[in-house]
Amino acid sequence: MAALGRHRACPYKGTNYMTVNNQNIDTSPLVDPACYAAATAAIRAEAARLFETGEVTAVVGYRAGRRAGTVMPEVAVTAEAAAQLIFSPGCQNNLTLFLSKAKRDALPKGKVAIVVKGCDLRALAGLIGESQLKRDEVHVIGVACPGVYGAAADHSRPLTADSAAKKCRECKVHLPEGVDLVAGTLPELKELPPLEAQELARLEAMTPQERWAFWTEQFSRCIRCLACRQVCPFCFCTQCLCDRNRPQAVDTSPRPAGNTAWHLVRAMHLAGRCSGCAECERVCPMDIPLNLLNRKMAQELYELYGFEAGTQPQEQGALTSYRDDDDESFIK
Amino acid sequence: MPKTITEQNLHHLIDALLAEGVRVIGPKRADALTIYAPLANGEELDLDQLPRRSAKEAFFPPCETILSFEKRDGKITVSDPDLNRLPETVLIGVRPCDAVAPGILDAVFSWDYDDPFYLERRKRTTIIGIACTSADDACFCTAVGCSPDARKGSDLFLVPLQGGGFVVEAMDGKGSALKARYEALLATSGSAQPLPLAVPAVDSLDLEKIRTWLAGNFEHPLWQEIASRCAGCGACAFLCPACHCFDIVDEGGEAGGCRRKHWDACGFGKFTMHASAHNPRDVQPQRYRNRIMHKFKYYADKFNQTLCTGCGRCIRWCPVGIDIKAVLDEINKK
Repeated sequence: MAALGRHRACPYKGTNYMTVNNQNIDTSPLVDPACYAAATAAIRAEAARLFETGEVTAVVGYRAGRRAGTVMPEVAVTAEAAAQLIFSPGCQNNLTLFLSKAKRDALPKGKVAIVVKGCDLRALAGLIGESQLKRDEVHVIGVACPGVYGAAADHSRPLTADSAAKKCRECKVHLPEGVDLVAGTLPELKELPPLEAQELARLEAMTPQERWAFWTEQFSRCIRCLACRQVCPFCFCTQCLCDRNRPQAVDTSPRPAGNTAWHLVRAMHLAGRCSGCAECERVCPMDIPLNLLNRKMAQELYELYGFEAGTQPQEQGALTSYRDDDDESFIK
Repeated sequence: MPKTITEQNLHHLIDALLAEGVRVIGPKRADALTIYAPLANGEELDLDQLPRRSAKEAFFPPCETILSFEKRDGKITVSDPDLNRLPETVLIGVRPCDAVAPGILDAVFSWDYDDPFYLERRKRTTIIGIACTSADDACFCTAVGCSPDARKGSDLFLVPLQGGGFVVEAMDGKGSALKARYEALLATSGSAQPLPLAVPAVDSLDLEKIRTWLAGNFEHPLWQEIASRCAGCGACAFLCPACHCFDIVDEGGEAGGCRRKHWDACGFGKFTMHASAHNPRDVQPQRYRNRIMHKFKYYADKFNQTLCTGCGRCIRWCPVGIDIKAVLDEINKK
């Protein structure tokens, strides 16, 4: 099989036509795949119970795609459909995307259950904090998650140290807390090098001119497909500023001015809200490392206000509340 | 006798074209990403991966200026871009799923109106296609009437050989002219066999049956079933070799600016928004239905062609895992 897209682990290194070099790829599984099977069984059992007792009208979870190892979000509205739900390293999507007020219109009325990883749980807490939903409107099935694939991973192989998502390499919430049920148990996990932290440090060590050059180059590839916006649980505005044309705030054409404005507006609007799920970066078909911007924002928010996206709903965001002792040193 | 070219001489061909002022666009690698981009030299040609975006942008760029305006001393001037300045271009290393697409799009860009931007680029571009010897599980070209060695759309066609090099076949006048011009770089074919073609392992589709089903099932629970998960981005349309919708916008300020044409996508919520704020496709399943209808019914009805080449990009890059081949399989079974 050849490397045509990100679903292959990029085995081609040389410039020779169709030559394969697999030498640098670690193919040993990161964890025993049985732990995903156990989580799957627990999700199915809980979903069956929920439909039987009539506690929920739908279970938002994951189901297998046509191709080996691929996954898609599924809104199961019957016990039969819920019996097909799975958990696997392909379960990358942050399903809380479907819980904002606007999106919930498309779900059946009544209480719904949702499958979340620890990282997704932070988004759920954020959405509750922003009054998009109430905690008792949702039954939360948390998954003991050893990790999921990164954007470029080969879905047909077990999760390896190389194919794990960058966020999973630094994950502190493998085991979700405050949920209604934890599906599966956590195996022992290996320590992995924090690639994203290293990349952020590399960028921070640059001069402003070098950093500008880095982002100019990255944004030059943007085609404005807006996948980053559409998968973000916090981009729930029904009228996005960047779609407005009377007056126009941001150029919509994929050119340097509009691209830069779009990505900076996006980062600023997510500061203090972003849960760090990194879905924006995963889905970018142009490989723009968007989570570096989110992460930098999160770092600033922590340093300035001690604010951190957590798994508990916070009613007041760092940028929507005022304290006398707020740091204002950045105002010059 | 068939003619062949070594990989090195293919690079020399690119260098020679560049030396003559011809723009050469081909798959070029930047980090892990390969895209069609102007090549600075032959060495930059990288045929390992199918480029992330399709080759349509050589004719239908993500964004182009269609007029510019300027206000100076109270006078307003409006000017058209000079299409005569579009460079002569060779588009090289194009796999069949990308090479057949411009031929499909010619129909719509010259239907009720001859789009000069698209058609001028078409006229000035020679396509060098290449037989496809690597497929993955998202590829399905053979199910929609294309194939890993389809010559359609290519002016010149390369067939990779075992042990390196390519057979060079001229498919039309443009290709013959290019082949004749660089005869010196070619050799007479030896005994080398072509590399095995990458035939996708997929179930076949009856496109006529699908078209008939679509005609009778504008309203069907399937649309909700598939597309309730659709996130509403434009990744599928923007990566697609055949999607060709665009928006026209005015950008700039009081002193001057441009009217630009840029890619648009039927998955976007605002795509069909009326000035009255009424939106005839107000939920995502209706938008996804349009994508399928346009590709497999409307375009087929109007131009007798399918607006899909089976490249698989929309499958690989859908943020929510929607798989157009699975959707077509489902319809095919009905």
